[in-house]
Amino acid sequence: MRASFVFSEVVNGLRRNVTMTIAMILTTAVSLGMLGGGLLVVRMIDKMQSSYQNQIETVVYLNSDVSANDPACDKQPCANLLSDLKQSSGVESVHHESRKEAYAKAQQLFESQPQLRQLVRPQGLPASLRVKLSDPERFEALKKEFASKPGVENMVNQAKYMDKLFGLLNGVRNTTFVVALIQALAALMLISNTIQLSAFNRRTETGIMRLVGATRWYTQLPFLLEAVVSGVIGSLLAIGGLFALKPLFIDRVMGSVLGTGALPQIGYGDIFYVSPILVLVATAISAVTGYVTLRLYVRL
Amino acid sequence: MKLLRTKVGLLLVIRLEHVSKSYKTSTRPALEDVSVGVDKGEFVFLIGPSGSGKSTFLRLLLREDVPSRGRVIVADWNVAKLPRRRVPRLRQRVGCVFQDFRLLNNKTVFENVAFALEVIGKPRHTIHKVVPEVLQLVGLENKSDRMPQELSGGEQQRVAIARAFVNRPLVLMCDEPTGNLDPDTSQDIMLLLERINRTGTTVLMATHDHSIVDSMRRRVVELSHGRVIRDDARGVYGVGR
Repeated sequence: MRASFVFSEVVNGLRRNVTMTIAMILTTAVSLGMLGGGLLVVRMIDKMQSSYQNQIETVVYLNSDVSANDPACDKQPCANLLSDLKQSSGVESVHHESRKEAYAKAQQLFESQPQLRQLVRPQGLPASLRVKLSDPERFEALKKEFASKPGVENMVNQAKYMDKLFGLLNGVRNTTFVVALIQALAALMLISNTIQLSAFNRRTETGIMRLVGATRWYTQLPFLLEAVVSGVIGSLLAIGGLFALKPLFIDRVMGSVLGTGALPQIGYGDIFYVSPILVLVATAISAVTGYVTLRLYVRL
Repeated sequence: MKLLRTKVGLLLVIRLEHVSKSYKTSTRPALEDVSVGVDKGEFVFLIGPSGSGKSTFLRLLLREDVPSRGRVIVADWNVAKLPRRRVPRLRQRVGCVFQDFRLLNNKTVFENVAFALEVIGKPRHTIHKVVPEVLQLVGLENKSDRMPQELSGGEQQRVAIARAFVNRPLVLMCDEPTGNLDPDTSQDIMLLLERINRTGTTVLMATHDHSIVDSMRRRVVELSHGRVIRDDARGVYGVGR
């Protein structure tokens, strides 16, 4: 096989259909850019899940009587609750947080908001037993057992709040993927149309190739490579777009949210991580679409 | 390449045995019980009115179509039974020339001829050796850098013949090669085809051109309504002319 011949045929093909080629590249780029965005959100969710996993606790709030009169949790009913919780199945660890400790934590939390900080009074904060579960699904069973015991005000599962946040992020990811999928369909049809147009434009060449005994593979390869080259250029544009969007959009617009530490940062490393995936997806999709189009719609 | 040998010792390059070809769209078969053998190095005219089956005959030899019945053998290949991946090998041994030249207008004369070798993966040094030789054979050695549209009809047909012949096929099939040319230019093309025939290449030419067939006095196979109605060793276009 003469690589230089195949290469020159690919370049000629792309040049002849320049407007269709540009449309194909741009559509592929937008579609892959969306896919890349979706993958970045997935990475963000993964990072969040692993960072929050260790911090999520089940909190058993103690009533005001216990909170006020048993700061060390060595009297009844707090001491009993503590030992019972430690012996319950699925409980990894339990520690007591006194009213004083809760107040110190609140002061630290509202460090940057002095007005809120002043409003917080120790009397308003309950003491609590902080329970770490090895299996977060055990919360309901634990609640059934402990919620009505003396000294317990109420029980809260922090994972519930995180689920809401993850649900929101999953929604963003799914929406991005759906739009990427619609764009990908448009890209597929454009790839298919461009190949058909390219084959039609070069029907004399391919007719001669067939008659002089070129193999089917040799005849089809330039068309397939045209599709793959366009796909790869599209993916490179998409990757470039993600790198450009990071300082322009993610850092500038979302900086205020990301800066609080509530959401993990999306770094250049993350974009590097999804880049080869985008190139691979572009190569595979354009090659498969090209091959199927040549098999079904083009007589070579 | 192994060729079939006839009873008298000649080598058959083309053999059609009781070949019929019907198309779904037509009630009448395009070819009906056609049996023809062509020896290596023969020059054969295939004549007959439009719709007589000449094009179908040529298409079967190239495996553009397969017969409905009978066997088509080119060299030692049973064409209809040839696996799809082997068809290019057959076509590399059968050169084709058409009435409309089918040249690539964005390539020079040299590139047009070289194209036939490039697409079958011949190395560059072979192409640079063989193409000038064949351009010299067809008398276009001084026009290798010209574009097809800068050439006359006769010259364009010479380029097409050079392209068909550059890979030294066993058979050169010509479908009305003089159909678009004036009588003098047609005569030149026929002289070129004769020269190619003298190199041992079998020439099979479908034509309507009475004067050429009559002047050459070569073998004539006449088709009518898909049947062979005449096969003369040194024939003319019309019987009794």
